[in-house]
Amino acid sequence: MRNAIAVVAIAGATAVVLAGCTTSGTPTPTTAKGGTVTVATVNDFTSFNYNTPDANLDTNGFVSYMTTGGFFTVDPKFKVIYDDSFGKLEKTSDSPLTVKYTLKKGLKWSDGKPITADDMVLAWATNTGFYDNGTVDDAGKVTTGANYFSTAGSTVALNGPSFPVISSDNLSMTMKYSSPYVDYAIFSPIGQPAHVVAEKAGLKSAAELTALLKKLPKGDPAKPTPADPTLAKAAAFVNTGYDVTAMPTDKSLLVSSGPMVVSDFVPTQSLTLVKNKFYTGAHESKVDKIVLRNIPDANAQISALSNGEVDVINPQASADTLKALKATSAKVLVGAQASYDHLDLTFNSPVFTDLKVRQAFLKTIPRQQILDAIVTPVDPKAKILDSQQFLPAVTAYAASVKGNGSSDYAKVDIDGAKALLAGATPTIKLMYNTKNPNRIDEFQAIQASATKAGFKIVDAGSPDWSKKLGDGTYDAVLFGWINPGYGYAGVPQIWSTSGGGNYNGYKGTDKLALSTQSLLDPSKITTILQKMDKQAYTDAYGLPLFQAPGITGVTSRVSGVDTYFAGQTGPFWNFWEWTVKGK
Amino acid sequence: MVSFILRRIFVSVLILLAASFIMYMLTAYSSDPLADLRQSQSLNKERLIQALTLSLQLDVPPPLRWFLWLGGAAKCLIPFANACDLGSTISNAQVTDILPRAMQSTIQLVTGALVLAILLGLALGIITALRQYSGLDNVITFTSFFLFSLPSFLVAVLLKEFFAIGFNNFLEKPIIAIPLIIAIAVILGLIVQSIIGGDGRRRLIVGGATSVISAIVLYFISLSGWLLHPGLGPVAILLLSVGVAVGLTALIAGLRNRRALISGLIVVVLALIAYFALQGLFNISSAATLVILAIVTVVVGLVVGFLMGGYDRSQSMKVASITALLSGGLVLLDRFMQSWPTYFSEVNGRPIATVGYQTPNLGGDVWVSGIDSFTHFLLPTVALLLISFASYTRYARAGMLETMGQDYVRTARAKGLPERTVVIRHAFRNMLIPITTLVAFDVGALLGGAIITEAIFGIPGMGQLFFAGLGRGDLNPVMGYFIVIAGMAILFNFLADLAYAALDPRVRVH
Repeated sequence: MRNAIAVVAIAGATAVVLAGCTTSGTPTPTTAKGGTVTVATVNDFTSFNYNTPDANLDTNGFVSYMTTGGFFTVDPKFKVIYDDSFGKLEKTSDSPLTVKYTLKKGLKWSDGKPITADDMVLAWATNTGFYDNGTVDDAGKVTTGANYFSTAGSTVALNGPSFPVISSDNLSMTMKYSSPYVDYAIFSPIGQPAHVVAEKAGLKSAAELTALLKKLPKGDPAKPTPADPTLAKAAAFVNTGYDVTAMPTDKSLLVSSGPMVVSDFVPTQSLTLVKNKFYTGAHESKVDKIVLRNIPDANAQISALSNGEVDVINPQASADTLKALKATSAKVLVGAQASYDHLDLTFNSPVFTDLKVRQAFLKTIPRQQILDAIVTPVDPKAKILDSQQFLPAVTAYAASVKGNGSSDYAKVDIDGAKALLAGATPTIKLMYNTKNPNRIDEFQAIQASATKAGFKIVDAGSPDWSKKLGDGTYDAVLFGWINPGYGYAGVPQIWSTSGGGNYNGYKGTDKLALSTQSLLDPSKITTILQKMDKQAYTDAYGLPLFQAPGITGVTSRVSGVDTYFAGQTGPFWNFWEWTVKGK
Repeated sequence: MVSFILRRIFVSVLILLAASFIMYMLTAYSSDPLADLRQSQSLNKERLIQALTLSLQLDVPPPLRWFLWLGGAAKCLIPFANACDLGSTISNAQVTDILPRAMQSTIQLVTGALVLAILLGLALGIITALRQYSGLDNVITFTSFFLFSLPSFLVAVLLKEFFAIGFNNFLEKPIIAIPLIIAIAVILGLIVQSIIGGDGRRRLIVGGATSVISAIVLYFISLSGWLLHPGLGPVAILLLSVGVAVGLTALIAGLRNRRALISGLIVVVLALIAYFALQGLFNISSAATLVILAIVTVVVGLVVGFLMGGYDRSQSMKVASITALLSGGLVLLDRFMQSWPTYFSEVNGRPIATVGYQTPNLGGDVWVSGIDSFTHFLLPTVALLLISFASYTRYARAGMLETMGQDYVRTARAKGLPERTVVIRHAFRNMLIPITTLVAFDVGALLGGAIITEAIFGIPGMGQLFFAGLGRGDLNPVMGYFIVIAGMAILFNFLADLAYAALDPRVRVH
């Protein structure tokens, strides 16, 4: 009897526990009308704020592109296309350079709050470093004063003399520059929602944040002051509060001003964006969901594409990848990336002080042979790159190539090189990355060809090549640059004497490069860049070799992905034009 | 014993320290985390380099930086303080955040493959040992060596091509061609007759019956569209469960033990009742419900066996509880199959996945998400299994052959014990002793992940963490990986030594 009671008691207890562990039946899956497009990405998503140094990664950029409204987008020819459905920017004065940003009326964040000039002011404060008065030592530590927002871009040019003027309807902001700035028209002052940042800083509303920013003086590193606690709190949130390693429980991090809004994030697996129901602009998505699936391996991307798990892939291009992709039923888009390999000569190394030696060396570079070995298997239509300043996708490329003197180096000219050397046999230490098979191929091709003309090529290849850049241990170097395709603020980096990317001691384009920065007329900039292009060839600066090939694969289910896009937003550049068949 | 353990721990700590130093130096000097930034044209390149230098302390030379790292890692030893500091990655995520996630993925991936490899490897090893130099033995030896020597990337890619993409294409029109049915049936018949053995007539009957039955089943599957709407139904569950009960009784207790057989069959009847009674509960089940049900099932089996009594209760209890678990498993399998059509339409008719561990945004209950896990882990598990089970078959076969030749086995036979008792009780148990060591090593190595399989199937486990970290000079995740696998390797070596001493009375630890 006692046993029976025990059995009943245990059974009862089990039933209670069991009842506690059940769910309320199957949720009915919602079927979407516009369908879902799944895109494979190589890197995992790490932050909702793409604009910090830590989070400035491709996948974060894709998400940011779809969840941030903006004054412009960029097309495959790197043409900047302004989006009037979001707002307008107009230059109201040349001296001092003054730009007025006006938001379209009635725009809303994805939480239903209006998008106003408060949001533009916050973006302005974030990107200009207006309030920073800290001094940073070589190790990156702040020694005196305080710095607030950390951004991936440079703040120097944007940092104006005064707080911007805000219109009475709170929809426009007029900002002044300290000096003319070439890229003023591609600054889009919209980022994090001011009302969310204000709340995190302990303020009641976006207006209070703007009032605080208006009150605070411009920072001056010469007169360091203690940090303003509220602004420091706001900045800390913007800098690191958006970094995630899982789907945030705080939904205010997801608030979007763009056509899409993040609805789900499974770290290392996928990120899902759905339509932002408050978005009213021109880039409204035709598909209901865009899913980013994290697949690092190129071959895994291709098999996922042929198994229908993803619809669009943008894998690292190689001949094998292309072959595997072509074996599937997917549409393959081949194009040239914005990054290119190039050979630079070091002007302050003794062997290259003589122009004739530089010219002779460049005449021996077998560029077509290198292209045929590395790029042609992927992109049979690829051509060698003939400009130091423009990518072929840009209209100005053709005109610049005609006049820049690149035709002198169109073909390998061993006899010409011998004539220039006049019997001399200079020794050249050529540095490259020994971990990159393409660079090894380039080195071997150049070595074989230059030796014929009498050069002695010393293998200065190193896995630590990037640390050695500019240290004088080599005479010439092979590596890659990434050309942003649009915007000119980066020009002095490579082409001015003191630019951070000028590892070659080249001085020939210094003045021209610096002069581009204060030009406000795009056509004048093109003229100067063409002059610089010619100057570099005249001085035998070096040679661009080829653009790295890029490929995109699309299943037949999705249409609207028709052009390979070399820019930062990759295949997402026109996501609002995507449609799904059979849905 | 205590001094042995203390000595081992002391030596292990020294090994761990020395190995971590070497690992740190090798990784730190092999690649440059700033390489990408140095090539960048970003206007504030200097500032970005400074920021990364600051956060990763790159200005400190690696030998000294190792001490800084060690200082943070040593805090992990403080119990419950949660002060563990393994540093951060280049993209500023804490290693202590990403490490558990990677471990979880790897455990999910590798555990199934390891358990299956051990079970399958032992079973095949024993069978081939008992049927030494038969056709079956030769075929399995050949196959296992063949699979063992296949590179994993090839196996993985072939699996994807044929069992994911190919099978999914087949599912668009799932009709099995008649010649294929005949071929499969004949092969199955050949395999089964060689396992059963005996004289020619017995082999012919067993093989023929197997072929005919499997041909009929395959034809039925093809004709009825079973692959699109699978299910077992009460009849199939009953037949399979009875088979399980009889088979287990034959293995564990011998068919002469009627009480064991009857308790097994009682449990089968209970499972069938549960099949009808529990469908309502299944519809609202969560994973926890199923765990509780599994425990209840085992308990019910034990109780049934206990109540049957007899002179050897434990045998009845074993038979009944294992039968209960397996027939309960069949009931669950049937329920999973009922959710298959839902899952099938959710994934656009392409169920077998090639990448990742879940379908994004798949709403659904425990059944649908269970199927989703199954379809994602199926291929990587098979890939790992095919490569790793070979060594177990070899060890098991050799061990079994050796023990079967021992004097005590001959004595057991001489006593007149039935062959089942000789094999299962006397030979099998002793054969397991060396295998224990092997298993301990493999479990220790389990967390190391499978770099290639993880990469090809897009599973973000430990192998990926290590490989990606190494590629871009991201030191801290590499060291996080190192701590885990080195710790596991040392721990399980140690456990293997202890287990060996406990299992084999001839071995003493001093």
